[in-house]
Amino acid sequence: MRKQKLVSLMLVTAMTASLAAGCGSTSGGEKSEGGGGSDEKVTLTVLAGQSTTDAGIEDMIDEALAEKYPEITLEWECVDWGNDFQPKMQQYMQSGLPDIMIGKAQDVATYAPQGVLGEIKGDYLDRGLDAARENVTFDGKTYGLVYNAMYQGVYYNKKMFKDNNWEIPKTQDDLKKIIDDCKAKKITPFGSHMVDTWSIGNVTMQFMMNDVFNKDAQWGDKFRDGQTSFSDSKEAQTAYEYNKLIFDNTFPETFSTEQTDCDAKMVQGEVAMKVSGSWSIQNFLDIDENFEFGIFPFPNQTGDSKLIFEPNITVMTSAKTEHQDAVDKVLDLLTSDKDLAVEILDYTKTASMLKDVTPTFPNPSQEDIDKYAAEGNIVDVTLGNNQLVWGGFQEENAKDIAAWLQGDESFEECLKASDDRVDASTAN
Amino acid sequence: MSRQYLALVLPGFIIFTIGLIIPLFMAVRYSFTSWDGMSPEKVFVGFQNYVELMKDSDFRDAWWFTLKFTIGNTIIQNVVALLFAIALDSGIKAQKIYRTILFVPCLISALVVGFVWLKMFSNVLPALNDFLGTNINFLLFGEKKTVLSGLLIANNWQWIGYWMLIYLAGLQSVPSDLYEAAKVDGAGAVKRFFNVTIPMLAPAITICVVGITTGSLKVYDLLVSSTKGGPGRASTSMIYQTYTTAINGRQYGYGCAMSVTLVIVLLLVALVQVKGLKSKEVQA
Repeated sequence: MRKQKLVSLMLVTAMTASLAAGCGSTSGGEKSEGGGGSDEKVTLTVLAGQSTTDAGIEDMIDEALAEKYPEITLEWECVDWGNDFQPKMQQYMQSGLPDIMIGKAQDVATYAPQGVLGEIKGDYLDRGLDAARENVTFDGKTYGLVYNAMYQGVYYNKKMFKDNNWEIPKTQDDLKKIIDDCKAKKITPFGSHMVDTWSIGNVTMQFMMNDVFNKDAQWGDKFRDGQTSFSDSKEAQTAYEYNKLIFDNTFPETFSTEQTDCDAKMVQGEVAMKVSGSWSIQNFLDIDENFEFGIFPFPNQTGDSKLIFEPNITVMTSAKTEHQDAVDKVLDLLTSDKDLAVEILDYTKTASMLKDVTPTFPNPSQEDIDKYAAEGNIVDVTLGNNQLVWGGFQEENAKDIAAWLQGDESFEECLKASDDRVDASTAN
Repeated sequence: MSRQYLALVLPGFIIFTIGLIIPLFMAVRYSFTSWDGMSPEKVFVGFQNYVELMKDSDFRDAWWFTLKFTIGNTIIQNVVALLFAIALDSGIKAQKIYRTILFVPCLISALVVGFVWLKMFSNVLPALNDFLGTNINFLLFGEKKTVLSGLLIANNWQWIGYWMLIYLAGLQSVPSDLYEAAKVDGAGAVKRFFNVTIPMLAPAITICVVGITTGSLKVYDLLVSSTKGGPGRASTSMIYQTYTTAINGRQYGYGCAMSVTLVIVLLLVALVQVKGLKSKEVQA
């Protein structure tokens, strides 16, 4: 009997102890082994919301940090930005934010008004391009350090365009001529992977930028004020209708095709164009390092489309970090170590947002980008993303667009669904 | 003695309370607020979230998909698992190999299963078309009218072996003298199946039906890696809709109202099934 009691007691103790241990550990992990002094060892927690192109940069940063600031260790939690960054942030806003968060520029608009982000010091911001500050500054304070950028538009097969004497289209009529010629020559005009609903949301914002926001920079605010709507705005409807243009001129299995397969079709010359972003470059060059591609903005109704620019990796810090000195050292490393920056940019195949840093990877679309930049024909998509947020709005609208394309919803129902979602269109 | 029982039950009870009971009550509480999941303010809105749920077509569509998925799974998995169990119990050769082959898929994560079947439907099987010169539509995840079939195939492929084992265990525990007595009374194979096997399998049927139903009502991970709730919202389940609404859509209060309805339905379904099926159970 006594033995039974003893065993019971031990079991209870062990189970209770394991429960207590489980409850005791914070989701952010052990934060610090020191008080943040210059020589004391510090562990900073980092939540990294990554795009597919970004996975792996944490090792590069760790390596550079170990060399310059060996007393600092980063405890990474890398998640998919599209699916998991916001849920993680919601979780941490209840339990305490990590010291550093890496997301996208549009996240600053979501979290800065909540008062949880720390202001980034001018010393580090000054090492970046001025354009990097625009959409991450609120009430005169900058809460995000934009590290790199992606470009979005229509990627095209240069050789195919050359062989068929196709000019870069500036208007919808120009584009239609290419589509018609593609069809006549049994070439699929557009590659797409609509199984990824995010890709529909992404291209729709590209269309919205050139047909809606470039004409009315406050369209999203007016939408919330009831001055305009998707059901009333011809421009917004046109942007939605471009999805149909793509759908009608892509391969039939688009709702079963993943991005990698789609990019492979582009490289293999099965399709002529793909509305996408720099995230496709990694795939293009992985499949064929000699693939010649360029980029142009998707033509709008007025023939004055601009290439889309998207600030990507954006470093944010916690307003309540206990290790501000160490956090600043990480920011210092990121903005001053040019070798590290080039390594990251070459790996992610993205453009620099730091001064005097240029990636060295061969980018066949760079000459197009330089041309649009020289002409001032580049626009920051954060303008649109800040007014019509991704999570809960663009993402949900994309599902309705998919349903409309498949004939499961009427166009009017699709527009109305976006209008009904107006309350979810802003993060705050 | 009772103190010993209490001591052994206590840790489990604490874990259950912290992990399930308290979050459940918190979800009920939040369902009466318009909380976005981030801000400190949790504004009380009464039953507004529940009223809006009734008008929400996405919510209704998610329930409709979930119900179709659940009914399809419950019928197919039970029938096919039972048939496989009977086949394996009939003394066929290499029984253990078949049993292992059928059981292995349930050891794989549903996330992996979703990904495997996405590749099967979009790459592997269409390649068969090229090879055989046929034109069968294998792109089941790509259209609203076929996506349910595709998901049923994936889900049944994964779980039939698991439920088959439960039926097999049930079959092997049926006393052989019952069959002999039935034979003596002149019962044929079909009569023996319906009058001896099925009643004796009633406890296993209860376990399988309740397990498959509640599991299907909670489907999420399979969808994440295969259809992502699409095309459009054609395969958005209740859990998927709740998650995207509460977390991605920052409507935590509204999402909690959704989850409360799901819990109520799950409890009701399990209660009705257990009550109904238990009454049909017999003891040898």
